[in-house]
Parts: sequence; C-alpha cells; structure tokens
Amino acid sequence: MLNSNEWLTSLPDPKGKLKEVQVRGRKSLPNIDSPSKKNEIWRLTNLDRLKAIFDLPIAFKGSESEENRAEYWPDSPEPVFRISLDPNEDSIESIKLPEGIRLLNNNEIEQILGHVVNRCECNNNWLVTINKASSYHLLALKIQGRSIPPLEIIMPSYRGRLSSTRVLIILEENTELDLLQVFLGTNNSAHSNITEIHLDQEAKLNHGVIADGDGSSSLMGQILVEQKTRSEYYLTNVLKGLFLGRLEPYVVQSDGKAKTSLRGLQISNKLEQIGTYSNIRFDGPEGDLDQLQKAVATDSSHCVFNGQIIVPRHAQRTNASQLSRNLLLSSRARIDTKPELAIVADDVRCTHGATVSQLQDEELFYMRSRGISIKESMQMLLKGYCEDVLSSLPLKAKRWFEIDQLITSSKEST
Amino acid sequence: MSNQNSIGEIVSKPYKYGFVTDIETEKFSKGINEEVIRLISEKKKEPKFLLDFRLRAYKQWSKMNEPNWAELGYPKINYQDIIYYAAPKKSEKKSSLDEVDPKLLETFEKLGIPLSEQKRLSNVAVDAVFDSVSIATTYQEKLAEHGVIFCSISEAVIKYPDLIEKYLGSVVPINDNFFAALNSAVFSDGSFVFIPKGIECPMELSSYFRINSGDTGQFERTLIVAEEASSVSYLEGCTAPMFDTNTLHAAVVELITLDDASIKYSTVQNWYSGNEEGIGGIYNFVTKRGHCRGKRSKISWSQVETGSAITWKYPSCILQGKESIGEFYSVALTNNYQKADTGTKMIHIGENTRSTIVSKGISAGRSSNSYRGLVQMGPNSKGSKNYSQCDSMLIGDQASANTYPYIRSQQPQSSIEHEASTCRISEEQLFYLQSRGIGFEEAVSMMVSGFCRDVFNELPMEFAAEADKLLALKLEGSVG
Repeated sequence: MLNSNEWLTSLPDPKGKLKEVQVRGRKSLPNIDSPSKKNEIWRLTNLDRLKAIFDLPIAFKGSESEENRAEYWPDSPEPVFRISLDPNEDSIESIKLPEGIRLLNNNEIEQILGHVVNRCECNNNWLVTINKASSYHLLALKIQGRSIPPLEIIMPSYRGRLSSTRVLIILEENTELDLLQVFLGTNNSAHSNITEIHLDQEAKLNHGVIADGDGSSSLMGQILVEQKTRSEYYLTNVLKGLFLGRLEPYVVQSDGKAKTSLRGLQISNKLEQIGTYSNIRFDGPEGDLDQLQKAVATDSSHCVFNGQIIVPRHAQRTNASQLSRNLLLSSRARIDTKPELAIVADDVRCTHGATVSQLQDEELFYMRSRGISIKESMQMLLKGYCEDVLSSLPLKAKRWFEIDQLITSSKEST
Repeated sequence: MSNQNSIGEIVSKPYKYGFVTDIETEKFSKGINEEVIRLISEKKKEPKFLLDFRLRAYKQWSKMNEPNWAELGYPKINYQDIIYYAAPKKSEKKSSLDEVDPKLLETFEKLGIPLSEQKRLSNVAVDAVFDSVSIATTYQEKLAEHGVIFCSISEAVIKYPDLIEKYLGSVVPINDNFFAALNSAVFSDGSFVFIPKGIECPMELSSYFRINSGDTGQFERTLIVAEEASSVSYLEGCTAPMFDTNTLHAAVVELITLDDASIKYSTVQNWYSGNEEGIGGIYNFVTKRGHCRGKRSKISWSQVETGSAITWKYPSCILQGKESIGEFYSVALTNNYQKADTGTKMIHIGENTRSTIVSKGISAGRSSNSYRGLVQMGPNSKGSKNYSQCDSMLIGDQASANTYPYIRSQQPQSSIEHEASTCRISEEQLFYLQSRGIGFEEAVSMMVSGFCRDVFNELPMEFAAEADKLLALKLEGSVG
C-alpha cells in the first residue's frame, strides 16, 4: 500500500495559514494504519486506485485549470454568492463577502480549526490525516443572521493533480443558511477535502454537495458536522462520474435534541467505484435522524454504502431511521450495503432497512400497458427514483448537471 | 420507576443445570501437539484418512491467527492449557443401556433427557454426548429399519468410513476459520446422520451435549447428509456445570442436502453463561453451515441462544441447487455480562434460490447482543430472493444491541430486502396488561414471548414450549 514516508517527502514544504496543521499531520501520518483490505472500512475500496490518487502531484498556484475556467460554469441565480476555492485566486481575503458572512481571523482559526474533527473522533482517520498533511487552501467562514444570501462554494479540479482543500463553516445561534458545495472533476484530477461544520443552537443549514466527475476523476471527502441542541442539518449529496469516490459524512449531535437529515444518491457507470461511509452519533437525548441513501449501479461499476448509527446510553428517546435503497442495473455491476446500528439506550426508536433490486416488472408493466414505450418507462422510473433525492438539493443545484442525460446514460448501459 | 426496578429484578434465576457429575474420567494431559492428535485418533481406532485429515487441519491451524473482528473482548485463550480429550472411564460404546454407568443415566435424567427404555421421550431418538464421547444413542434399531443411520461420529468412522470420507469437511473445509481448523484437528465426538434416498425420517433426531470437566474443551462434530427426496428434523441441546473458569466449546456442524431433500436443524443452547459478575461460563465458538447441493433442497436453521459467556455463531446456507431454500430463525437472549455475536450467511449461487432470515435479539443487564449477517447474490443467482428481519429488544439502559447486516449483490434480477428495528418493553403495554390483572412478571414474559413468536413457531413442538419457559426463566430478575 501507500508508502507514507515516500509520499510525505514528495510534498512541498509546510507553509501558509495551515503550516502548523501540515506539520502535525505529517508527524502523525506514519503512526496511523494505512488502508488495507483487512480493515473493515477499507475492505471494499479499490486500493490500487486509492494509491494512484496519492501518486498525483498537489495542485498549486499555476496548476493548469483550463477546463475549470469560471466561464464554463453555469450562472448562479440571484442572490447566490459564489466563492471558488482556487489556488490560482490570489487570495480569498480579497473577496468582498455579503453582510452576515465574515472570514475567521488567524487567531480564531487556530482556536477552532480541528475542533469538529475531534468531536467526530476522526483524528485517527487516515484520509483526514492525509488532508491535514497536504492541504494549503482553507476557507473559514463565520456566519450569523437569518437572511444570509445562499452560498455556493466551487472546488475546481486540476488536470492530473490532487487538490487538497479544507473548509470550516461556523453557523452562529439562530442562523439559517443554504449552502451548495460543488466538486468538479476532469482529466484524472482528484480532491481531498475536509469540510468542518459547527451548528450552534437553533442554527439551520441546508447543505447540498455535488461531486460531478467525468469518470476519470476521484474524490476523498469528509463532511464533519457538530450540532448543538435544536439545530437542524439537512445534507443532500449527489456523487457521480468518479473513478474512485468516497464521501464520509460524520455527524455528532453533541447534546442531542437536534434534527439531522441525510439524503444521498450515488450513480456509478463504467468502471467507477463510489462509496458513502456515514457515521452518526447521538451524544445526548431526543435526537432525530432521517437518512435515505440511494444508489444506481450500471456497467461494471461498484457502489458501496456503509452507514453507522451509534446510540450510547445517555441518548434516550432517540428517533433514528435509515434506509438504503439500491438499483442494480447490470449483471457486471456490484452493490455492497451495510447499515450498522449500535444501541445501548433502551428507550429509543431505531429502524433501518435495505433493498437491492432492479426496476420492478410490475411498475414497468403498468406504464407499458398505458402505451408508454419500454425505453421511456425505464427512463421515467429512474428519473422518479433519483428525483426523490435530487429534489431536496438547495440552490437550484440541478443546473450543475443534466439529469436527463444522466439517466439516459445509465439506462443505455443496461 | 417501580416497574423499571422490578423488571430489573426478574432476570437472575440460578442456572438449573450447573451441577457436576462426580464420575471417574480418563483425561489426556493438557495441551495440543501432533502427538495428542495421533493419540486421539488412535484412541478412537480411526482409519488413516481421518488421521491425515486431523493432521492437515492441525498444520493449518498452527499457521492461523485467532479472529478478532467480532470485538468480543475476551482474554486470550491459552490453547496449551486445555484438555483435548476427556471421557468417562469404561467408555467403550455399550451394546445396551444396561451397561452404561448409572451415574451417567442419572445425569441425563436430571437434565430432562431420559435415556432408559421405560422413560424415553416418545418419538425422539437421542444421541447423548458427555464431554468428549457419545454415551448412548437411542432408537438406533428402529431407525435402521428405515435405512436411517443415526450414531455417534466415532462409530460412523468405523462402520461407514466411505460416507465419512466423502462428506466430512466438504462443507466446512479444514482451513475455513481458526476454530473450525482446531475442531477438525481434535474433534472427539458428535453425531452422524444419514437419510437415504426417498426416506422421511420417522422420528425427530436429537443430540444432547453435556460438558462436565472444567478444564476440557468440547469439540464436537456433527454431519448430516440427506439424500434425494429425504427429510429430517434434528434437535440439539447443550448444558454445562458452573465453573468459575471459562471453557471452550468449538463445534462444527455440516449439513448436506441433495435434490428435493430437506433438513431442519434446531438448537436450544443453554451452556452455563457465567455468574452475575461475568465470571466463568462457556466460550461458544461454533461453525455451522449447510450446503443445499440439490435442486429444490431446503435447509432451515432455528436456534434459541440463551447461554454461554460468549457466543460466536453464524449458521449459514450455501444455496447452490436451483430453487433451493435457506431459512434462519433465531432468538438470542443475553443477560449480565454475556456477549453474543450471532447471525447467518445466505450465499445465493443457484438460480431462483430463496432465503428468509428472522432474528430476534433481547439484551438485558450489561450484556451485548449483535446480529451479524451476510446476504450475497452471486452472478448466477438470477431470480433469487432474500428477506431479512432483525428486531432487537433492550431491557435496561446498560445493555447494547448491534446490527451489522452485510448485503452484496452482483445479480440485477434478484432482490434483497432487509428490515431492522429496536424497541423496548413499553410502559403502556405493561400498564395495559397489568390493569387487566396480569402480574408484572407474567406480563413481561408474555411480551417477550410475543416478540419471539415468529421464531418459536418454527421450532418443533417439544422445543417451542421449552424455549418459551427457558426464556421466562432467564429473564427472571433482569427486566428493569
């Protein structure tokens, strides 16, 4: 597997705002077990592809980014405020932010950065440490107020390079925000990203994450969230076109009494391997979770879902439901799904369910008997299946990808 | 809450089967090496193929590491500190029960398994295994009239070596896992059942396992073969005395069904589970696997797991024959410091195969109860279906219930459905029953029994009642 010492020496010297973090990350990486098939969380991951990602040089100022030029991006509807986390931009500091949003100063960053990583118990997570050791670009925002304009954060990709980035978002008490994070991917590019989110009491975040690759790009992402009481966190993620995609949403309800909703859709074509590894922990009573994870696997692709829900003793009256629904559309494709419940509290309602199948014959028959062609029926059913998740994306996110095209390509491969 | 407290008090009835039979036993000295294995083989007058089988297994085992993925957190077992063979003296198989040591008969009678002619359970043939050897097998002649072979595996090795050579290790290979390899090297006794073509076994078959020595591991081996269009129902029961040391029990059970055959395998496992502080008890590390080789064949596992300090057991089905069926019905109850990591594997290989999993876990005290199961649809399992349901009930806020279903599909024309839920004994339901004049304990036990109904319905009649009683007994003092 990856020789961490070799990789560390290939990195540029520590510098910038994240210098201290880089130093610490590089120091602790050799002490963390590298991914291996023997480790349950890596058992299903294609480790050769993972290794290939870390053979890529780190994207830096001056890296080629023609495919990512902003003029190719869809317009953002008013009043969306767009930030591009681009090492070619001279400095994020020069951006004029709307009212209610401000950049954290160095002092604050030193105090707060990594706090949510701790809370999510991710300090020994190999991917997190890799990111710490290599990320030079940080966007750290503090947000306060109820009428904040929706925020769009674009993570551009660089041909044949690994972009290692970090985002920190603090939502103060009573703040409401719509946020869309877009990971672009072309030409063997890769992303390593940690997004830390802290939701204070009664804060509400509607978070959309889109990873839209061209089939050759990869994503290794952690979304780490800490929720205070009465806060609400809604995550909708769509992963597609990733040669190797791995998204790890971690949510901790630190005092319970919060509401979490996770909706995920992963669509894999060709030889892609896309996985979601979620982990939700209730550290206080009366928490609420609603999770729906969908996957469509076609061609020779592979979709993986691993969903952990942890309900310790003090998390009484937790109400959690998790559903993993998978469509397997080709006999060469593969689906692995593993919902996991670990419960100690006795007064809880926890359910989970999982299904794997193809489109239902009865449903197809119903439509065909109404004169709709088989091709069209399949397309409609697939669209409806995906729409279930897509409809909860914020900020008209669908402008970032052609859903019809997506469905046609999945269907043609069946 | 008063209810809460009293629920808590219901679980701790003393273990009824904890007595030790004072009988002279012949034991090997502690430890395992090639010599011990040769000695076991010699003792049992085994043919060469079996000795080779054992030695191969031992070689494999010495290279293997003890698995730790189940996170059962038990102290390291010293495999050189275990006695691998113990048998009551004068243990040659008796031609009639009159020759069996009366103390042994008495022991089994105390356990509710009368072996003597007058008191036998009607219509159930029993193979009684005491430590490492089989003591007696009842109704052998009657079964032989139908061509059914039911005897201890040591007897089968001598009498039917061809069958043993053909089938032993064909479902659970010697290098399958650490404990199966150990068992293959040192297994001492167990049952062998062979149902010939077209025969429906005229009575229920049953084996009863009893561990008596505190420092002896029990390594039994069961092999059941059902030829074309035959069927059999097999029951298994287990108990052990109370020792404050941990005893290892590593069994292997292999089932084979050919075309249109069916095997129903039921277990009531009530090994000693250790005391309230979690001291002592049996480590129950068992490999059970059935292979549906023939078309339309069926294997059904049902189990009630209430004992053992640690249970590590996944009765599985390999569904190879077209339209074959696998079933798994389980109730696992853990209390005090017990740990159970149990579930099943349904490996769909053939077309149109079907499997059903119903698992009910009840955790009380400070115990931990996990369901771990794999459902796999292979590339050729077109038209196959699986349905799984895992429910957990938590009693008290210090017990844990975990669910780890692994689901893998490589066949689009198959379907997998999995459901799981967690609940507890609700105040409202208790209140409802109590307000109708039902005593508290009875109400709890009614609710638990209702929770497990789906599984109890699958148990043979005699067992269902016993399991229900056992559960109520085990729960006594725990609810709360």
